[in-house]
Amino acid sequence: MPLLINRQLVDQDPWLRVEDEQALPADGALLLPLARYLDQKDQLAGRQLGVLINGDDDINSVIAEIDKLQLVAIEIPAFTDGRGFSFARLLRRAGFNGQVRAIGDVSRDRLEFMERCGFDAYDIPDDRFKPEIIEAFDEISVDYQGAADDPRPLFRR
Amino acid sequence: MYQYTEVDQKLVDERVAQYRDQTRRFLAGELPDEEFRALRLMNGLYIQRLAPMLRVAIPYGLMSSRQLRKLAHIARTYDKGYGHFTTRTNIQYNWPTLESVPDILAELAEVQMHAIQTSGNCIRNTTTDPYAGVNANELEDPRPYCEIIRQWSTLNPEFAYLPRKFKIAVTGGPDDRAASQVHDIGLHLVKNDAGEIGFEVLVGGGLGRTPVIGKQISPFVAKHDLLTYLEAILRVYNLHGRRDNKYKARIKILVGALGVDKFREMVEQEWAQIRDSELKLTDAEIERIKGHFTPFDYDAGAVDNDLDAKLAADEDFRTWYERNTVNHKVAGYRIVVVSLKPYLKPAGDISDGQMDLVADLADRYSGGEIRATHDQNLVLADVKQGDLYALWQVLADNNLARPNIGTLTDMIVCPGFDYCSLANARTLNIADQINEKFEQVDYLHDIGNIRVNMSGCINACGHHHVGHIGILGVDKKGEDWYQLTLGGSSEADASLGKVLGKAVPADEVANTLEKLLLTYIELRDSEQESFLETVRRVGLDPFKESVYAPAH
Ligand code: SF4
Repeated sequence: MPLLINRQLVDQDPWLRVEDEQALPADGALLLPLARYLDQKDQLAGRQLGVLINGDDDINSVIAEIDKLQLVAIEIPAFTDGRGFSFARLLRRAGFNGQVRAIGDVSRDRLEFMERCGFDAYDIPDDRFKPEIIEAFDEISVDYQGAADDPRPLFRR
Repeated sequence: MYQYTEVDQKLVDERVAQYRDQTRRFLAGELPDEEFRALRLMNGLYIQRLAPMLRVAIPYGLMSSRQLRKLAHIARTYDKGYGHFTTRTNIQYNWPTLESVPDILAELAEVQMHAIQTSGNCIRNTTTDPYAGVNANELEDPRPYCEIIRQWSTLNPEFAYLPRKFKIAVTGGPDDRAASQVHDIGLHLVKNDAGEIGFEVLVGGGLGRTPVIGKQISPFVAKHDLLTYLEAILRVYNLHGRRDNKYKARIKILVGALGVDKFREMVEQEWAQIRDSELKLTDAEIERIKGHFTPFDYDAGAVDNDLDAKLAADEDFRTWYERNTVNHKVAGYRIVVVSLKPYLKPAGDISDGQMDLVADLADRYSGGEIRATHDQNLVLADVKQGDLYALWQVLADNNLARPNIGTLTDMIVCPGFDYCSLANARTLNIADQINEKFEQVDYLHDIGNIRVNMSGCINACGHHHVGHIGILGVDKKGEDWYQLTLGGSSEADASLGKVLGKAVPADEVANTLEKLLLTYIELRDSEQESFLETVRRVGLDPFKESVYAPAH
């Protein structure tokens, strides 16, 4: 699955996604479901950790952990589900500097809004990926609202 | 009125290019139907029963003559020569082709217009009082705040995929001509004890399947806090609104489920985080936007005119004057309502020629500006009394001066089955039936103000719940039947109508209305008591009896 990070296509994804039932690999960066992370975080101290959340999770329980996390992956179950946009904003507002990755139903026409909300990485399904997708980030070059990179709305710039 | 900056212009231009590419990718098969659907809706394009329907935004109902001429041109060039004004003060075209929409949007961008967020699950066009800035009763002109909301909500990256559509209305004072209490958010300009201007905020009003009157979430939000407060509400809604059932996804359901106190607590908690953020409005910004809405240069000499002589000499003119014009805050001026409810034509429809004509009249008599109203009429807001007679003659010659504003035939009517793919029943034929029935009756003017609203299905685009008389089309085994409600209002005394009884067949709607009106005339305690007041005083029973009692 093509992965974009900071608008670049990367071929290596260091993150190992581990499901609830799966055994933990001995090393490498771990991407865990939120509940499992909360359960096992003490044993895992010192490792590179990321959590996988979806719209039903409580974002505040993730925000409480941000100094221990390097990645928050937000699952978008359907492209019409806009909760992830608010999640990304809240994570950045709380000062999270790690990667915020969109996974699931992620495709071209939402990338620009996602980036403005604070996402910087995107797992894009193969059938929805084309190299031109990168152009989506620059389709609208002006905006009124503050965004992840500059919190000032237009009237304060 | 507001004039675009370079940024505003660039945004709509780039949006046109973006949508052009989305249309191209869709036609090339690169964009799945379902995804293109969401994208085209956010550009106002529906696929209707007969053809696509394009809804163009008229922010808070205000247009320049140049813009209205462009709308006429679009009707002529891309449609069948007419457009339809909606209760959200937008205009709809019923016959454009999907392929031509990018070109239409490019034409709109030439005159600082667009179709952004006129549909879809996002923040829609903010509406306000069509008499904003010219009625003596308001605290302040609400339109600068509408423009501030327009900018904040336009292509807001966080709130483009809400659980459901989201509508905001703003009023400038105690009168409510914007149906603000049946909006997701209603904002009322108010003054606090310290004399500062701010907003009373209502949340969770709405019509549709579950009609609700909005509840107060804050008695006073200072004007500088407007956007932070709205953002807090929208964020709580975006995170917690239901997404599993589209009929339960509006904010009214969330507020109802949590209770307004709990909902308020969540909003206040979020607001505390952002209240003093960069989003807080500055004096400079409020003043900059207000600078676009400075009052006209009124002519003090306008009070000297021959209006009284004209009114005395011409009875038709006087009838029109009394019905279709409204007090202006400046002496010597009048607000004129251009009726889009002519005899036997769909409510809110207007031809390209009529649009050009109204644009010319606006240039000549009303500062070159036109407003669209929630009741689907147009307004020329700044007409000198001395010009009224000449203006009326031109309007009358062009079927735009039916003296029916606020009367029975000034109905709000959704397009119904003839155009809308969601409809259960036709509405336009029923509106015609009512017009035919009452065109000649002499007691019509006796009835005074009455609001009749009609919808073709429970989605309630015709706002039937808040009509003094509401008419809802229902489908009974393939036949159109109509359910009536009495006692609704969308004004400051907002209330939801109550169901009169079982539905009536299509050919009985006008007769039923007649029975209701005769009952009212019989029961009212004086000629001053309106239909709505009588219904509220005596209740539904006498009306039920008049309609359902077996004939003797
Ligand atoms: S009320 Fe129903 S029939 Fe009328 S326009 Fe809305 S969806 Fe269509």
